[in-house]
Amino acid sequence: MRDKLINSVVYLDSFTLFPEYFLGLSGIYILIVITLITYNVYGLMLQKAISESLGLMLFMASYLLINDDIINVGFSNFNGSILNDSLAYYSKLIVCISSAFYFLIISNFLKYYRLTSFEYLLITLFAIIGLILLCGSNDLLTAYLAIELFSLASYLLASFKKTSTYSIDSGLKYFVTGALSSAFFLLGSSFLYGQLGSINFDVIKLLTDTKYSDKFPLDWVDWPPKDNPEWFNIALRHILWYLFSHFTMFSSSLVDLGLALILFSLFIKLGIAPFHLWSLDVYEGSPTSATFFFAVITKLSIFVLIIRLCYHTLPTFRESWIFYSLILSVISIFVGSFGGLQTRKLKTLFAYSSTSHMGYALLAFTSSIGAKFAVEIIFFYLVIYIIAGLATWFIILSLILKTKKFPNKFNKELGDLASLHKANPGLAVAFATTMFSIAGMPPLIGFLAKLGVFLSIVSSGQELNYYEPIIRRYLTSYNHEYYFVAVITILCSVVSTFYYIRIVKILFFENTLVGKLYHPINNQKVLILSFLVFLLIFLFINPTLLYLIIYKMAWGIRVVHVLF
Amino acid sequence: MLNLFNIFAILLIVSSTVVVLSKHPIFSLLALVTSFLLASFILFLIECEFLAFLFIIIYVGAIAILFLFAIMMLDYKSTDLSRNTIKYLPIAVIFGLGFLSILLYEVNSNFEKYPSDSFYINIYQNWYDLIDSTTDVEVYGQVLYSYFVLQLLITGLILLMVLIGVVYLTNTYSVKPSNSEQVAFKQLARESKFFFKN
Repeated sequence: MRDKLINSVVYLDSFTLFPEYFLGLSGIYILIVITLITYNVYGLMLQKAISESLGLMLFMASYLLINDDIINVGFSNFNGSILNDSLAYYSKLIVCISSAFYFLIISNFLKYYRLTSFEYLLITLFAIIGLILLCGSNDLLTAYLAIELFSLASYLLASFKKTSTYSIDSGLKYFVTGALSSAFFLLGSSFLYGQLGSINFDVIKLLTDTKYSDKFPLDWVDWPPKDNPEWFNIALRHILWYLFSHFTMFSSSLVDLGLALILFSLFIKLGIAPFHLWSLDVYEGSPTSATFFFAVITKLSIFVLIIRLCYHTLPTFRESWIFYSLILSVISIFVGSFGGLQTRKLKTLFAYSSTSHMGYALLAFTSSIGAKFAVEIIFFYLVIYIIAGLATWFIILSLILKTKKFPNKFNKELGDLASLHKANPGLAVAFATTMFSIAGMPPLIGFLAKLGVFLSIVSSGQELNYYEPIIRRYLTSYNHEYYFVAVITILCSVVSTFYYIRIVKILFFENTLVGKLYHPINNQKVLILSFLVFLLIFLFINPTLLYLIIYKMAWGIRVVHVLF
Repeated sequence: MLNLFNIFAILLIVSSTVVVLSKHPIFSLLALVTSFLLASFILFLIECEFLAFLFIIIYVGAIAILFLFAIMMLDYKSTDLSRNTIKYLPIAVIFGLGFLSILLYEVNSNFEKYPSDSFYINIYQNWYDLIDSTTDVEVYGQVLYSYFVLQLLITGLILLMVLIGVVYLTNTYSVKPSNSEQVAFKQLARESKFFFKN
């Protein structure tokens, strides 16, 4: 009785969305207070205070998350549209904390980059609410609305600098690409709904369960006999299998099509390689702090949705989603590694870098069939990507030229970094450490991340033989391809180290007598930056905390109690 | 024969013919609005209130007004289109008759004239509707505010966020008025020594 009630009526003790509720209300409160009261008094001086208070609000939201005692149990509420498991819990926590760091980091630079209006921060806050909602969403409608919330906010953030043509241009490009991606998502969900009659992930999981649809229908009477190698027997078995497999309630090819469309739309949002072309222009054109947001914060939640959709909801169709993601991950690692070689613009370089990193995460996702720790590896990779991204973009933001007149050009090129180690040695050392970590040098955490991805892809080829027999029936032909893929991606990773190391070379060993002079950064920012760089080193020595968190995240999607 | 449904249907056909035939775009737009209204009346008659409201709100309220703005912006000069009409008439008749015949065939084969003679489905008086019925709009409201309350809230947040963004992007905060700008009140006030004597 109680279980039924949870699904239909919102009880206060099963109201598991307090962080989102708190953030939404605080956004509306900030809007009202600023437009009615504060704006007339203080004018344009507000951006630093608002940014820091938003950072505190996000810390408060993560406090609310930690203190909620039933959010981790693994049940769905709001009529099954929100799932509260440890995957949602930890991913929400990671998004909250990283975006709190984001707000604390950008607060000093808003004035310099001429983003003084409070709407910028407010729209970013709404985007973060969308990301948090996406982590917990358990049906296609909620997921779509959450994606729309954060992507509409992203279009606005990209085109926020009205005076710059590049910004407007990138906003328009982002809008057109994002609208296409949303259309794909809706088309795919309509296919799924049309075939299965439900948008809820749990219901879709039950309807397409392997237990009922994947077994040979007449095995329980052992007719036709399984081990008889007569051609007639084999042919009969095939024909019967064909007939019975078409006797299901839904057409599995249409479900497959819907899943493919949804996955492609999410890949567009992630910037996976054949769909990555928007990201180069958008990252270069939009304001640097907005690029920071797109590149670092938004990726994790979309991966959570992809894992929910594929690994948790439609494991029956693993053959097809592994096929798509395997090809796309290899392409995107290739493009990200070789595309970054010839570019001189710093933000475009990191757009390529982000493409290749998403490719690595997708590669780990691909290997989730054979390797038992693959889901853990995805989140391990993404958490380290977020930490390294925070440090990198923080350094890029804080490269403020020391000139008399106010600059018109904010985007950096590689040549601008020359002899930074003389102008600001601390910043240069931090930048070099981060670059080494992203490139995957051993005494830093990036090494373990890349090692994990390659380990999971290799062991996926290895363990396939004594994993589930049902999977083996599909995937025996993939065995050698996994080793092949591992070799290709390791070689691409070696190529991609070139441009990370080149940044280090430009920072320290460039043969120029005259370099640019940069502003020093203040104490508070130094504290954050040194904390991030310290994490990069410390987590290599003691990665146990991270391993614990990712283990619990991945454990969440395996143990889910469905209340229906 | 001459019940409300038939009256509205005939009027709808007339007004949609006017949409096609009228020369001036404003008139055809007005006829389009009329045909939307008549279609929503028909939807009211067959008890699809929600769809009728959607017709009025979206088509009349948003799209027709958008058309009107576009026509006013473009400053359309009315030209004589009758020559083209005569030139394309045979093809139009062929295509129109083809589509009409297909449509009539589909309607005739898919819908029955008198659905059932049984007591439960009765075209004159359905007693079950009178005993226990909730209207269309009420049902949508109940579902939206109970089962989909979270989605409704997210939609509200999206609309608020887009509103803020659009206001920011389109609003140009004017800088100080330059010297060349004429302020009528100041000029008048400078003349009169009665008010400002300092």
